[in-house]
Amino acid sequence: MSQQSQILTRRIDKDILEVFIGPQHPGSGHMRIILRVDGDIIVEAEPDIGFVHRTMEKLAEGREWVKNQPLFERMAILDAANCTLGYIMAIEKLLGIEPPPRAKYIRTILAELNRIASHLYGMGIFAILLGHSTMYMWFFGDREVFVELAERLTGQRLTHSFFWPGGVRRDLPSGFKDELEKGIKYFEKRLKEYEVMFLKNPVIRSRLEGVGYISRQKAAELGIVGPNIRASGIRHDVRIEEPYAAYPELDFEVPIYKEGDALARTLQRVDELRESLKILKQAVNRIPEGPILHEKYLKMFTKVLKDVLETEKRVKLAPALFNLRPPKGEAYARVEAGRGEYFYYVVSDGQNKPYRVRVVSPSFRNSIVFKYVLPGHRVADLPAIYGSIDYFPPEADR
Amino acid sequence: MAIVERLIDLILWPPLFYYIIFPGLIFVMIFEMFLIWSERKIAGRVQMRYGPLEIAPRLAGAPQLMADLIRYALQEVIIPRTVDKLPFVIAPIAAFVIALMPLLVTPFSPTFLPVTTEGSILIAAALTTIPPLLLILAGWASNNKFSLVGSARESFLIATYEIIILLVIASMSFLYGTLDFLKAVEAQQALLWGIILNPIAAITYFVAVMMGTSRFPFEIAEAESEIVMGAFTEYSGIMFGLAMGISYARMFVYNIIFVLLFLGGWSPLGGIVTGNYILDSIILPGASVAIKAVIISLLMVFTRAVYGRYRIDHALKGGWGFWFIMALVSIGLSAAVVYLMEVF
Repeated sequence: MSQQSQILTRRIDKDILEVFIGPQHPGSGHMRIILRVDGDIIVEAEPDIGFVHRTMEKLAEGREWVKNQPLFERMAILDAANCTLGYIMAIEKLLGIEPPPRAKYIRTILAELNRIASHLYGMGIFAILLGHSTMYMWFFGDREVFVELAERLTGQRLTHSFFWPGGVRRDLPSGFKDELEKGIKYFEKRLKEYEVMFLKNPVIRSRLEGVGYISRQKAAELGIVGPNIRASGIRHDVRIEEPYAAYPELDFEVPIYKEGDALARTLQRVDELRESLKILKQAVNRIPEGPILHEKYLKMFTKVLKDVLETEKRVKLAPALFNLRPPKGEAYARVEAGRGEYFYYVVSDGQNKPYRVRVVSPSFRNSIVFKYVLPGHRVADLPAIYGSIDYFPPEADR
Repeated sequence: MAIVERLIDLILWPPLFYYIIFPGLIFVMIFEMFLIWSERKIAGRVQMRYGPLEIAPRLAGAPQLMADLIRYALQEVIIPRTVDKLPFVIAPIAAFVIALMPLLVTPFSPTFLPVTTEGSILIAAALTTIPPLLLILAGWASNNKFSLVGSARESFLIATYEIIILLVIASMSFLYGTLDFLKAVEAQQALLWGIILNPIAAITYFVAVMMGTSRFPFEIAEAESEIVMGAFTEYSGIMFGLAMGISYARMFVYNIIFVLLFLGGWSPLGGIVTGNYILDSIILPGASVAIKAVIISLLMVFTRAVYGRYRIDHALKGGWGFWFIMALVSIGLSAAVVYLMEVF
């Protein structure tokens, strides 16, 4: 028997070609989309996820509570603050504590910096999928502004591990406000240039308009989240529905679009960038004075730890935080990350490690789009749809 | 001494000089290196980055492509077991060679041309249509789904842009009343440059060539994010290097034709007389043609920094729905110009 005939085969319809986009395809992430195409038209699409599944939920059961933060950051490393904030908030609910106001504002600032960086990352990938190398470089180059601001605040470019239960690790560094305002000013200027180069570019518009349409009802049925559902006309945003951190005190809007196509999703992200800038401006101006960690833990600090907190304005890893033993119970928390809603459900059995941590990530909920939206489009529309829903495989697979 | 003279004789021996040095392989290679380097440098400038730099920073990374070529040349050529070997190997090599063959009949000065013929425009136009067929062959022989899709896209595009290019060339030879590049250039020197006589033809030709040589926004047959590398997905090593060079070689040849038909050929440098035969008949007019071709080529590669990639149906719609009609209009315009010249 020849070698080729031993390969398992599956019968498909006549005149249908099966194309595997991924996992080693330059246009896919760490995932595979199995396309069945009739000529140039997709008749069936199957998103095949799980190539970067790291059993995070199980791994989390073997680590101390705060040590899970660096683990969960690896879901969406470019959106690290938003995707771990939910976990920390869930622990806080278990402990029954609230962070002090200043810590809440610092959390908001970092979350918005991450949201901008995350949107720019997604749009950069989107641009290169459409073959627009200039916008790819511009988005990634301008993302650097916000990554560096986050680095200035936390000491890390991406994996900040910045939140403690009951507060944050560092206070705002001196001169941060000026740098942030400089960055915002620069970025507002750049947003206008994006419009000329990308959003109003005739070639890009012809690729996006009317492509990957998701109606309002379909969006609700599929249960997609984040900018994707907002671009279909549903005002779903955890920052409004279940406000957390400093969001209830800040004045911002949640933009929506009714068109629901790839262009609407792109414009939606750009509008959200503008809103994020607005939030950042307000947060950095209104930030109140005060401690950055809950007083319950500050009382337990030794003299050395207190000295470090006062002189260097940072919280050293104290045993009190490290050996957290939340009381028996369960809690959940929701957070609006760059790609949509993160949902954390944690169960504690009173030990220093979680009994169970359940994470539902936005990309996982958005991945269903491929199955129901791709059929009927051309193969060349795949990058436009893939990029416009800003799908991030490591986030979906956990 | 005799050996040195023999060597110089050998180098200047017309067949060798034409085919290997100028306007043959070496000249095209240098041109390609310069073009790819400047494409990457210009794109880098627009995109807030350096472009090639690490290899010889003092030369701004200019030998980058040389390094790439050395790497390609030393890399293993993998021929998958499932391919149809003979066409798979032949296709890129033949496509590269045939892509350069129109240079046989394109004159670089009134006296410097390898093959003298009355029908040089016809031969050049005919030869430019062959390499795309070999690209289709490469994709077909590769036995890979992405290669097949790339080939199918290429074949759709060929039908569009080849007709437009041929119609435009026909309209220009109609305007000059000849099928000979020499006479076409002479006619332009006597009257006006073709781009002024028939601007519609020039623009149509420019766009069709961009479509034909996979320049953005028509980089459809090799769309990386959709079909990996189009027809050349399975190629590696020096074969891949050749495949990458084909579209640049074709663009260069098309732009030489553009210069001869629309930009007055070797004027203005070709008119200077210094008394030195080589300077007068090769270097000055040749440089004039080559520089114009380089400028046109740079314009074409610059679009990479501005546009994304069209979907194939948009490109075909634009090709048949607009540029094809423009090509027909350019024939009408040529007829009008000819009529006006008769009248006045």
